[in-house]
Amino acid sequence: MMALQRLFNNLATSKLNTPKLLSNFVPRCSYGLNNVGSDDPDVEIIEKKIVEEKTSLAMRAYLQRATQYNSFMQQQTHEYNVGKRHLANMMGVDPETFTQSDIDVAIDYLFPSGLYDPKARPLMKPPSEVFPSKKDAEFDESGRPFHVFFYTGKPNFYLILHNIATKLSELNKFEDSLRKNNILPDPDKKLTSLGSQWLSKEDLEKLTVEKLSDHEYKNFVIAIERLLKHPCSYKYGEFISDYQKPMISTKAIIESAPVEYTKDGRAFVTVKDCPRKDARADVTVYYPGTGKLSINGKGIEFFDDIQAREQILFPLLFTDMVDKVDIHATVRGGGVSGKAGAIRFGISWSLRSFVDPETVERMRIAGLLQKDYRRRERKKPGQARARRKFTWKKR
Amino acid sequence: MALFAKYLRIGSTVKHGFQAFPQLTTAKYSVYPPHFAEPVYKKQELDKLYESGEIENYKLIPFKAAKSNETCSIFHDPMVAKFINYMLLKGQKKLAREVLEKTFEKIKKLQLEKYNRETDPEKKASMIIDPVVILKKAVANSKPLLKLTAVKRGGSFYQVPVPITDKESTFYAMRWFVQCGREKDKSISFADFMATELIKASNNDGKVVNKKLDLHKQCEANRAYAHYRWS
Repeated sequence: MMALQRLFNNLATSKLNTPKLLSNFVPRCSYGLNNVGSDDPDVEIIEKKIVEEKTSLAMRAYLQRATQYNSFMQQQTHEYNVGKRHLANMMGVDPETFTQSDIDVAIDYLFPSGLYDPKARPLMKPPSEVFPSKKDAEFDESGRPFHVFFYTGKPNFYLILHNIATKLSELNKFEDSLRKNNILPDPDKKLTSLGSQWLSKEDLEKLTVEKLSDHEYKNFVIAIERLLKHPCSYKYGEFISDYQKPMISTKAIIESAPVEYTKDGRAFVTVKDCPRKDARADVTVYYPGTGKLSINGKGIEFFDDIQAREQILFPLLFTDMVDKVDIHATVRGGGVSGKAGAIRFGISWSLRSFVDPETVERMRIAGLLQKDYRRRERKKPGQARARRKFTWKKR
Repeated sequence: MALFAKYLRIGSTVKHGFQAFPQLTTAKYSVYPPHFAEPVYKKQELDKLYESGEIENYKLIPFKAAKSNETCSIFHDPMVAKFINYMLLKGQKKLAREVLEKTFEKIKKLQLEKYNRETDPEKKASMIIDPVVILKKAVANSKPLLKLTAVKRGGSFYQVPVPITDKESTFYAMRWFVQCGREKDKSISFADFMATELIKASNNDGKVVNKKLDLHKQCEANRAYAHYRWS
């Protein structure tokens, strides 16, 4: 009995995969993956005896699974550590100070891969990142589930939906009470989703430790968006922000390209392989300059198209630098608009070094500092073109 | 007519007020993730954003790249760019642009002639010579308030008048201009025909405006079927 109590204490503190954000969910779970199959052989025997006498079939099956999983993970961790030391020795570095980033570099160096998809390339990561984590026991010894939504199959996910729904009805009541007293909900406090996006499906799966379908994820987004759009949603701002994450940072844009100097002291920045469609351009911008422009040895008359010429001038007009810089560009591949777009990106990317940060921000909002990755849409089999279908008549 | 349109719009809110399930079919083709915003590439618009303080929100959002027909040049106008896109055939944008520029030249010539002939100073002052302004006015004058859609009821199709969004009505107007231009005699050039048509439409006259009025008449005649949209 003492041993069982000890087990209980141990397991109550186990933190493995207990979802953090589920406020209503008090983990009464007493069996955890961490503590099953402990290293101490004496304790294990006694535990097993007691456990087998009292537990249900489901619990026993779970314990067996948990032991298997834990021993598997232990072995994997051991192998990972040994492999790490081997790698460090191979690279001639001290194994004690060998970090994960060093491992990545070493793997890249020792196993160069031409595979296109990064996921298909060889990797070495800690086992906790590679193998999916598993839940703690969701039921007690007699087989009764702890969680209200156990029989939905995805209790943590449905709890989130349930919380959203209850919060929404509470907000409705709150709004009604406000309106009864002739008070309108404060429009200034209204929440917006600007600058943040919802947790992705993968994030939500990690949070709930449950596998979700696309349909279920869409349901979640609909529900939380409805909560956000409620005029009184500011009451539950914290709850909503738990499911939001910030949009991508703009750090890469703000860090401008390195400036070099010519023999006569003029600053210049070179950007190589600026992409747009199939065209690639190498662009050098000299500052200060007089507005000279050379594209493959010609001036702006390299392009017959007026639209293409406008594109070249776009970043220069936008930053008022038309006659303050010289531009030297070589461009290859692609068509007219592709070539123009590639040079436009090169110019705006190198102009960052010669304008103030506020202008850089303005250029970003104007869409000058975003690479245009759009490509021609492929033709599909069974169709005439990418979207166009063959003419078809029933009879 | 406007009241009639308003009525129909109320009907539409009843039907579409509740947003149904989003589409569960295949996703639309886009390389940008959904949170990327459309770029603000005009300097004046950006300045306005800075003045109103709205820019603080924009600092947190990633933006799509500006498209290859967008620029901050003063000669660029989004509406003109759209018109070129509606005009072009088989991707010949360069040709379409040249034709529209010829049209603008013609408009300016015609208007200047009129301007110089005019003796009354008041009328002279109110005359529009800028071709872009004329194009905008012409399109605004030929935008329909309603459209007809075919609805199947009891085995036969009925032409039902339906309210129209601003974007769609602009598209209708521009498409009518291009259609009229393609149906013209071969003896006149597209640019010449278009120039006269645009000037006429800016004075609420001409083929395209008549087309709009025809559509309105048809809608008026079919108003008895209007309820088929929701019942």
